[in-house]
Amino acid sequence: MTNTYIRNATWAPTGEQFDIRLAPGHSQVVPELGNLTISDAEVRPAGQLNIPPQARVIDATGKLILPALFDMHAKVEIEGRSKRESVTRTGQAAVQGGVWALLVQPTSGFMFDNSAALDSFREAVGQRSAAEMIPAGCISQGMKGEQQAPYNTLSARGITILSDAGERPGNLLMMHRAMKYVAELDMTLAIRGDVPSITANTCIHPGTTSYNLGLHGTPACAEEIGIEIIVRLAQDAGCRLHVQTVSTAEGVEIIRRAKAAGARITAEVALHHLLFTHENVGEYDTNYKTMPPLRDKADTEALLAGVKDGTIDCIVSDHTPCPPFAKKQDFPTAPQGMCLLDHYLPTLYTHLIKPGKLTWAELVRACCVNPCSIAAPDVMNPEEAEGMPLLMFDPAATTTVSEANLPCGTLNTPLLGQTLCGSVTLPLQ
Amino acid sequence: MSTTPKDLLTIDALSDADIRSILKGAAEMKQVFCSGKTHPALAGKSVLTLFYEPSTRTRSSFELAARRLQADVTTFSVATSSVVKGESVHDTIDTLMSMHMDYIIVRHKNSGIPAVIGRHAKASVINAGDGAHAHPSQAFLDAFTLQEKYGELSGKRVVIIGDILHSRVARSTSTILKRLGAEVAYMGPGPLVPLQKHTGIPRFTNWDAIFDWKPDVIYLLRVQNERMDTPYFPSADYHQAFGVTEERLKRIDALDLSIMHPGPVNRGVELCDSAMEYRNSLICNQVENGVAARMSILSYLTPRTQHND
Repeated sequence: MTNTYIRNATWAPTGEQFDIRLAPGHSQVVPELGNLTISDAEVRPAGQLNIPPQARVIDATGKLILPALFDMHAKVEIEGRSKRESVTRTGQAAVQGGVWALLVQPTSGFMFDNSAALDSFREAVGQRSAAEMIPAGCISQGMKGEQQAPYNTLSARGITILSDAGERPGNLLMMHRAMKYVAELDMTLAIRGDVPSITANTCIHPGTTSYNLGLHGTPACAEEIGIEIIVRLAQDAGCRLHVQTVSTAEGVEIIRRAKAAGARITAEVALHHLLFTHENVGEYDTNYKTMPPLRDKADTEALLAGVKDGTIDCIVSDHTPCPPFAKKQDFPTAPQGMCLLDHYLPTLYTHLIKPGKLTWAELVRACCVNPCSIAAPDVMNPEEAEGMPLLMFDPAATTTVSEANLPCGTLNTPLLGQTLCGSVTLPLQ
Repeated sequence: MSTTPKDLLTIDALSDADIRSILKGAAEMKQVFCSGKTHPALAGKSVLTLFYEPSTRTRSSFELAARRLQADVTTFSVATSSVVKGESVHDTIDTLMSMHMDYIIVRHKNSGIPAVIGRHAKASVINAGDGAHAHPSQAFLDAFTLQEKYGELSGKRVVIIGDILHSRVARSTSTILKRLGAEVAYMGPGPLVPLQKHTGIPRFTNWDAIFDWKPDVIYLLRVQNERMDTPYFPSADYHQAFGVTEERLKRIDALDLSIMHPGPVNRGVELCDSAMEYRNSLICNQVENGVAARMSILSYLTPRTQHND
């Protein structure tokens, strides 16, 4: 292996220490970063590196170094494309966006409720994906919410986190029993808060926009009651719970209270819930149709505060590719979901870091360290060989989002035409 | 010279000048219509009515209006078409565009469908009602009817009563009346009247508050049971709580208020029997003016179809 040396780079989360393990190659990239705790604000000047004469040297003046991101909520399957192409394209999108690993939610084509599905997926990823893809096992068979998936089989195949991909948790008795069962297997359940009987046939946050457009509103209280229910059930069952895509201010508050009371819970927010509100829907812009729906400005502010104080552990992409035709339909019919993965880190940088709403240290915690320790604890375990890679970020570069730089190939992103700051180099070698 | 809009999707999308011109046109078209004559505004043009939801009066009103403007009218019957075989709205529109229609008049149960079609089609698309979103031709006939009765609408007060939540009529009619200077309030069962902070329109939930507000016009909406998946209110109480009862009709009569309703009326629910014969009922005027307003709308829009130009 040829060593690559980076000189004059700046460690993005200046002055912050993270207990992370770097991928093996990286100890050679920047020896001073070592293979354990990073305590240095600055990568040492090149003069202090012992660089062999023929070595590859990257001058990173003005650029930033940080751990590559871990996105613990993404869907890989692209409707209308083969599974292999879906894996390839999503892998390209992730790496372009600065994401080295994804926790992949089950979908109809990638139904992780049996070992054969896991094996064929892992094989496809091994052959075709530029990014790591870690499958989340199903909570229920076929994600139908009726019968528990074979948790022992999944656990034996290395699954540590279970999710029905944000499907509404319909049968609470099934869920409660699943929680009690997986508590013994030391698995984590990832569920979204919802009360399906209240939110059925709704598609937008209730407010001025829903009134003007004549659309049925999804009340915030349904999500909040749903969060209370799953938190209480998980506490009773003694199971680790990860609350998916929290979208409301009161939802953040419920999690804050539960954590203070010692509940074993973690929580995530989708990036789009930090950036947009229901008013972005405008005149039926289906690219802003998400589940849960985009909420009010006060909610985005509370969610961001939750990320900053650690109540919300992770920022996720909730990457949901939709075929172009599907999003051209009318708003109630169009599928929900948005794609921000292809330009993930530049979007985070442009909209949150640059305006001073989020620090690099908070970003590294929410987009890298926390999701990794929840969804892929092995990466964090010093006994294991794996570790996380670093990426280089050039904050001075700009990119205008166009079809040509959306490797995922789905256009359901409101970023089209927007100019974003920053570009990612990943991998570094 | 600026051209007029291609589509009529919502009242909001129109300028004040558009609104005034269409209302002025409606008065002229009413002369033509009532004298039994036709007007050549749409001679040689083709008009298609595409109704995904049942409708009698709106559809026949549009078809009559188009014929009085000398257009060829085609009725696309959804119930017997490929739509029931699962064809998407997009593909249906592609098919219809291949037939070189100049005007497509569409009604659909989903909010926003006419906007999807309008973006896709060169033809003028007229929204004849989409979900709970908009029903702009109803708004024009309502405003025209009120202008006939009162002249200037500035300062007039109209209360719209009933299922506001599901009502495209409430949204469009309140919008046009406010644009014309009138004041609008909503009244109905709690779960069916959106909050004032979302609508910008005063919200009442009982008749006493309405009479205190001193309206000029009582506009009743039909209770739309077909849009309610789960009950919103105890329906047995509706007439007593929110309908025009015999007692309330006396009070309305004494105050010389007008009554309107977009039809069809549920007798004994929104209105008691005698309210149907009330001297200040404008319900039949609304139907008659519907044809004139729709003639004016059709002749005002500018399709982007080239073949006949």
